[in-house]
Formats: sequence, C-alpha cells, structure tokens
Amino acid sequence: MSGMAVQAQGLDKGYGQGDKRVQVLRAFDFAVPAGEMVAVVGPSGVGKSTLLHLLGLLDRPDAGHLELFGTDVAALPGRERARWRNRRIGFVFQFHALLPEFSLEENVAMPRFIAGERRAKALGSARELLAAVGLTSRCGHFPDQLSGGEQQRGAVARALAGEPELLLADEPTGNLDGSNAEALFTLLRELHGSRRLTSVIVSHNEALARRCDRIVRLTGAVALEERPRP
Amino acid sequence: MTVLRMLIGRYLLGLRRRTHVAAVSAISLTAMTLGSAALVITLALLEGFQSTIRRQLTESGVHAELRPRRGAALPGGEWLAELRRRHPQLEVRGVSSGAVWCLVSDAAVPADLEVVDTLTTVEVNRVLAARLAAGAGSQIVVAGHRLVLTPLGPAPAQRSLVVGRVIASRPNDDRSVLRVPPALARGLLGTTALQRFELRDAEPARAWAVASDVQAEVPEEVEVVSFADLNRPLLAALQLERVMIGLGVGLVIAVAALNLLCNLALLAAEKRNDVAVLAALGLEPRHVTSLFLTLGLVIGFVGGVLGVGVGGLVAFVLDRTAALPLPRGVFIVSHVPFSVTPGAVATVLAVSLGAALLASLAPARAAARRDVLEGLRYE
Repeated sequence: MSGMAVQAQGLDKGYGQGDKRVQVLRAFDFAVPAGEMVAVVGPSGVGKSTLLHLLGLLDRPDAGHLELFGTDVAALPGRERARWRNRRIGFVFQFHALLPEFSLEENVAMPRFIAGERRAKALGSARELLAAVGLTSRCGHFPDQLSGGEQQRGAVARALAGEPELLLADEPTGNLDGSNAEALFTLLRELHGSRRLTSVIVSHNEALARRCDRIVRLTGAVALEERPRP
Repeated sequence: MTVLRMLIGRYLLGLRRRTHVAAVSAISLTAMTLGSAALVITLALLEGFQSTIRRQLTESGVHAELRPRRGAALPGGEWLAELRRRHPQLEVRGVSSGAVWCLVSDAAVPADLEVVDTLTTVEVNRVLAARLAAGAGSQIVVAGHRLVLTPLGPAPAQRSLVVGRVIASRPNDDRSVLRVPPALARGLLGTTALQRFELRDAEPARAWAVASDVQAEVPEEVEVVSFADLNRPLLAALQLERVMIGLGVGLVIAVAALNLLCNLALLAAEKRNDVAVLAALGLEPRHVTSLFLTLGLVIGFVGGVLGVGVGGLVAFVLDRTAALPLPRGVFIVSHVPFSVTPGAVATVLAVSLGAALLASLAPARAAARRDVLEGLRYE
C-alpha cells in the first residue's frame, strides 16, 4: 500500500461564539501514510477527539484542507460523507456504543444493514468478524449481557464491518482495566496488519501508544511534535 | 430499507430492557385506537339516524317535480302521456294550489289547497287534521277565494267535504295542507290549471335518480326539480350536523395525535445516543427522519385500524341488539340506530393517518437535525 491515507493542512476548528469561543485546532497540519498506525496523545482538551471527529467526517473544519485517500472530503455533501463513514471509515468510540435493542451480531452487522445488504449475508459477515475478535460464542447475546472487554471487542468488530480503509479509535481502552486494555490493543494491532488498515488511535495510555508505528503528541492548538516509534 | 424496518420493530415492541419505550408506544396506540373508535361510533350513530330520516323522506315525500320554467302553467302536448308510458313505475300526479279557509265552529283555519289530478278522495295532512280535530270520515267546510253571489252580496264559495284520508306531513313542513280532486276544486278556486307534476317511484330507494331518469324526456319549457333540490334545506342541515359533530369528535383523535407527538419526542430524546451512533455508522439524516415518521404512521395506521374494528363492532352489536331503546311516539325509530358505512371507515382511517403524520413531522425533523457529536457525548 502506498500513498497518503490522510493529509490535513491548515485545519481550523473552534466551538462557541464570541467571548466563549474556544479555538481547539489552529492551522493544524497532519499526515498519515497508508498502512501506518499512528497514536495521537496529549492532555485533555487539546483537540485529540476533535481531530478524530474531523477525520471521521463527523464534523467539518472551519477552515483548511482535508484529504482522505486522495479525495477532498471537506467539501463532500452530507450523503457522500455518510457513505464514507459507512464504507471507508471505521470508528471505535471510548464507550462501546453498541445498540441495546440488538444482539451482538446484529450490532456488528449494522453498517452492512445501513448499506442495504440483505440480513442473512450481513449477519454471516458479522459472525466472521466476531470469530476474528474471539466472540463467536457471544453472537446472540445482547450488549448488557457482555463484559466491558467483550463489549469493546464487539465495537471493534463493528468498526470493521464495512471493510474500511481507515480505522479511527477514540480512547478505545479508556473504560477497560489493564489486562483488557492490553488485550484490546493487541487485537487492534493484529487487525490493523491483517486487514491492511490505516489506523489513527487517540489514547491517554503512553505504554500502549508506544506500540504504534508513530506517536503524534498534541500540546496546544498549533504546537505539534512527532516522535517515531523506536 | 432493512435497517429502518428493524429499528421500527425493536422500538415499537421494546422487547428488551427499554420496556418503558414499549409502554409509551402502547399508550399512543391505545389513544389512537380510542379516538378512532369514538369517531366510528359517532359517525355510525349519525348515519343511523340520518339514513332513517332520508328513508322517511323517500317513502313519504315527492321524488321529483316538473314545473314550468316560465309562467304559471305547464305546456300541453303528448309529452306527459309519453312520460307515463315510458316510466310505468312512476306515479305522476298533477297539482295546482291555492289558499282556502277551513271553517270550524268558532274559527277559520287557513290551509294550502292542492289539486291533484289522480286523487279520488279528500286528504288532509296531520297538521291540518290536528288543527281541525278531524280524522278520516270527518266533515269539514272549506271556503275558497272564488266569489259567488248570494242574497247578502258576494261571498266566498264554500263546500262541505268529507275527509277520506289523513296523510303524513313532510318532515319540517308545518303547513296545513288540504288535497282534493279537480272536480271539487273547481267550485272553490275556479280555474284548476295544473301548476306542477309530482313524481314518485314505486321503489323509494330510486328517489335520488328519478329526476335524471326523466330529464331528457320533458319539453324545454319544463324544469325538473330533483329529490335533492326539493329537500335541500333538510339535507344541508343533515350534512352540516354530520360535519360539525364529526369535527367535534375528531378532536379526540387530535388529542391522541398530540399524545403521539409527545411520545415520539420522548422516544427521539431517549434514542439520541443510538441515532448518533447510527449516523456515525453512515445512516443519512433523511433516513432518521423516515424512521420517526414511519414510527408515527405505523402507530396511527394500526390505531386507526384497531379503532375502526372496535368501534365498528360496538356499533354493530348495539344496532343488532337494539341495546339503546327510544321512547315510542317521540322518535321515528324504536331504538338508537347505528350504521357503519365504507365512507365512514375510510374517513376515520384517513383522519388517524393524517393526524399521525402531522404529529410525527416535528419530532422526526428535529431528530434528523440533531448534532451527531452531541448525541455521541450524550451517554
């Protein structure tokens, strides 16, 4: 895989109006080569999640240029952005965000249901993904019947259901204890390699961040440091 | 769209965990059902009474009239004989009218005199019979406007008549009416030129079609007045009654729709996080709108169908069992009649669907416009 998966130049993003406006990102540049796993670290409120939301097309920058896999996504209309989120981007939230009325396999198949795929085929793909994350025996269970680690692994499987090229994870281990966090990060690393993903992972956990190919440390709206993974 | 069907089914049934979601949906459904049932029963009650009135009109009244377009007399010719030949089922009676006085011992009662060419006996309507305290076989003295010379000078012509039959008065007609054959009328009125023809079909149900049946067979100088036009004020009043009462009871459905609006808004707020997650997974805003719109329409449709079923059944049972008797002599029927018509069913279904649609629009649009990030943070 070659080329740049993510190219962001001069991104501005702020929230609020007038005296209460907070400028989270200012003239922010960010690039991720295809196939790289990048950890984004920094103190709370520095803009890590904001960056991820912009990359995941959940929000629009106030200014700047953003390309994903060569496409200028900042100007895409709403329907196209939705399609990108469904098919080309996978998102793992800090809280698992599984839908309580649906079983684990239905949750994992949800991106495919949204894409219009037939139920049987979508569920078949979901079961394969659940096997890949070690949750075959939990397919028919509902989210409230799963442990925290199982819920987050289910969320990872769902993020991969649309066969995305870009995986974004916002504090995926934030709600997990040490061993579960370690196990989940190992899973992310394995899936990143086996599915040839480009991954951007926001994390407070420095130890886990060092397991990525590169660490990007945010210290303010503009200041940016990069430290290659040894 | 598969995902919308799945979401609607899970949110409506609420099979897991969020049982209050299912309870809220059930409350909305019950409200729509009760509103629809109330409207069906009310429309059935109105139709029951009004169809009875219409049947009375067709059974006792004139189905069509032939009147001169110009002047006071109908044109001559063979057209009338031809009309009678072509429509043997029609009773055709020529009528002319004037004013007379019915003399009783201490008073004179004014009355409308109608000269009917097919009559062989004297008829009085119930109003005149009551005023004269007369019945079949009673002798009455009638004074017309034709003057005759008497030893005391000119005086109104008088005739003594025997009442052959007391006939029913037309609904809402409180005139005193005396009907006589042409031979008796000449002495009272002088001229008996026919002013109109009254048509009655042997089959009362065909009353509405008589005018259109004969329209092409009368001369241009003759105007055909239909059954609907003859009874326009009463029929208009019945229609207005139906509309106003229907609107009044329809407010029950409006209340149910407001309940649905509140419940959909509650559901949209409850599902804020879920909708945000679905949007993050690629669900378009228009599909979010469709989701909540469809939820509301399903509740409106199912509630409407159930209400029609329940209300129709109640009306049917009440009518067949004559469960609500009415005092004899006061009403023209012995029990409260109910009649459910296809038109009423369609109206109720349309109203419940329309109310559900209007109630669902605002919550659906609001849910689609919500910021995805706000929803994701709402946990």
